[in-house]
Amino acid sequence: MQPAGQYSRDRCITGVHGLDEILRGGIPYGSTVLASGTCGSGKTTLGMEFLVRGADAGEACAHFTATEPSVKLLENIRQFKFFDVKMVDSGLINVFDMDVLYSWLGLEKSSFDLDDVHSLIKAIVDIVNTIGVTRLVIDSVTTLCYKIKSEQLIRDFLFTLGKKLATLGCTTILIAEITSATENAHWSSFGVEEAIADGIIVLGDVERMGHLLRFLQVVKMRGTSHSRAKHAIELTPLGVMLTPMLKWGAVSDTHNRWGA
Amino acid sequence: MASEFKFDKEDEKFFGSVGSFGVPKFDNEMHGGVPRGFTMIAFTETGSGSELFAKQFVSPAEEAENTLYISTNEGQAEIVRIFNKYSWPLDINVRTIGEEYNSNVLEKELLASRYRLEGFRLEDIQRLAQTRFVDDVTQDYLTEVTNEVMALGPYFRAVIDSLDFFLQREDPARVVAMVRMLQAHAQLYRGLVLISVSTDGLSPLIKQELASIADMVLSFKVRTIGTDFETSMIVSKFRNAPENLKILVFRVTPEEGITPETVERIA
Amino acid sequence: MKMFDLDQGIADQLTEVSLNSAIQVRCGNSNAFMVTASTLIPLLQAFEMGGVYISASRGAAEVIQGFEAIGVDVSHIQFIDLVSSGILGGTTVPYSNVHFVDSPIMLESVLLRTLYILKTTDNERNFIFLDSVNSLAIYNEDRMLAEYLHTFINTFRQQEVLTVILNVPDQTPPLVLSNLDLYCTDLIDRGQVVIH
Repeated sequence: MQPAGQYSRDRCITGVHGLDEILRGGIPYGSTVLASGTCGSGKTTLGMEFLVRGADAGEACAHFTATEPSVKLLENIRQFKFFDVKMVDSGLINVFDMDVLYSWLGLEKSSFDLDDVHSLIKAIVDIVNTIGVTRLVIDSVTTLCYKIKSEQLIRDFLFTLGKKLATLGCTTILIAEITSATENAHWSSFGVEEAIADGIIVLGDVERMGHLLRFLQVVKMRGTSHSRAKHAIELTPLGVMLTPMLKWGAVSDTHNRWGA
Repeated sequence: MASEFKFDKEDEKFFGSVGSFGVPKFDNEMHGGVPRGFTMIAFTETGSGSELFAKQFVSPAEEAENTLYISTNEGQAEIVRIFNKYSWPLDINVRTIGEEYNSNVLEKELLASRYRLEGFRLEDIQRLAQTRFVDDVTQDYLTEVTNEVMALGPYFRAVIDSLDFFLQREDPARVVAMVRMLQAHAQLYRGLVLISVSTDGLSPLIKQELASIADMVLSFKVRTIGTDFETSMIVSKFRNAPENLKILVFRVTPEEGITPETVERIA
Repeated sequence: MKMFDLDQGIADQLTEVSLNSAIQVRCGNSNAFMVTASTLIPLLQAFEMGGVYISASRGAAEVIQGFEAIGVDVSHIQFIDLVSSGILGGTTVPYSNVHFVDSPIMLESVLLRTLYILKTTDNERNFIFLDSVNSLAIYNEDRMLAEYLHTFINTFRQQEVLTVILNVPDQTPPLVLSNLDLYCTDLIDRGQVVIH
């Protein structure tokens, strides 16, 4: 039995206000965490904050963006009060456009075969290994997996990538786009990501009397006990802020007393 | 009715109604040269001397700035070497599509396979992290070439050697449409266009279409006679002058380049 | 220039509370602003506190103008306005210290926004003034509101931020009221309005 406050595995302290508390100290090092969310739920902001907090602690971080141009992303990151442009200049934060990476690897095609997938894994692992990345975000793994036509290949891709990154001690957030975050929804687009990932953080909206409240819920996290409650979130210049969602207000209108 | 271009009287006098092939003996055989406004398609065989003929065709270069030589296979250096060898004018416009394609596309592919096999080096990663946009290398050479020829003014002279590059990469219907546009442009501006296309692997349908668009069809052939090669040029179509249809055997001399043999052989 | 006399008894009572207190301030319909001012002015002027004013009963601009009318500068406290977003054009106000939350039903957002403001403020001692529970009760279901007040009060007490909760008791559901009585450490009761 561990004394209170001590953990069996070292943690990657996310630095996200409240999230480390939910995770009883942070994400176990080397984990691959799926951050699944509906549009506008704060996935990208969460991923960016994870990196900036890491850079703030002197860690090398990498972000692969497939959903928005890196130029925009680097512009948006400035909203964080704890961001310093030196983090980028000094190479602590490295943002890569997936389009550019595809182009460099000759992968400007609509679908990837096994060889392409391995090239992509090799490239990502190469980057992580060469610059000693300890925090990685891929935004989004859904966009990337759309190019991989077979479910088996998606599974192989995520499994191999996760395994190699874990070996390098890199904690990874794979951002996944989902269309619904309700009780019956899948936590990933292809259904395989959620099984491969060490952890799943779901982000979505609860509708309360016509208003959308953003929530975050840690559904699974291997290697640590954690809260599984829904937490309301706000995206602020100080980063993502969390508070437990009111129990009497945590379900959508259609499922609770409001709709009855 | 097609629009009509008003030509300068002095130009009309200077350029005349026919232009030289760049091969004096060939001009003689064709009763003075090639009529202005003609588009010629040259169907070629490997080693038949068509590349040299193409260069020779632009050598008269009545107006250097209005003369364009487009090569899809040779590089600038090789073209300059040949032009120097025969003392042909070097101030014409030359575009080497093959060379451009190699540097834009093939070099990129080579680099991609290096990255895939050997991985990224630190400096590659740093450069990758600084690169925000994908270089647009998807060039539409067919449109570019068409526009370039269409931009030439009255009495221009243009050569495309050869059409194979486009037929291998584009929809053949687009390529044929391009030839048709060039033919119309040549006709309107009394230009001279020579387009070569290899007969190896050319579909009969495309060949037929190209031949029907062209005002003049040439075929460059090579055969062995004993231990010698014999190169010949067959004029199989000459619009409105069937008397010009001929088979001309030629050789290549260091002084004149392609030179038709005017002595008729007895088989 | 005050149009009414401040209730000195409230100021006196405030000297008795500590930073981790949660005070329920009961008022009636007609004396609400007098009670508010009597509570807030000592906090601002005598105790030199900074803080956050959560306005659920009226738009923040109206509250600010009310204080300006009695000569009280409230520019150094932050307002969270839960009313004006529901009015088209309501968020166009000439004050930079007003933050808007879409609706009074977004209770968690109010809590998070308050926490955010507290994190960005330099004041050593802060208060949260919630105006008012009965207004929140219009939109929120009793159990949820009771749960919220429980979280709200405990969050700020833990952070040593003085919590002041304004309430018109006869407009507040009994469940909420009883819970409020339970969670608050102090009570300033001006719920019975005496007309002289």
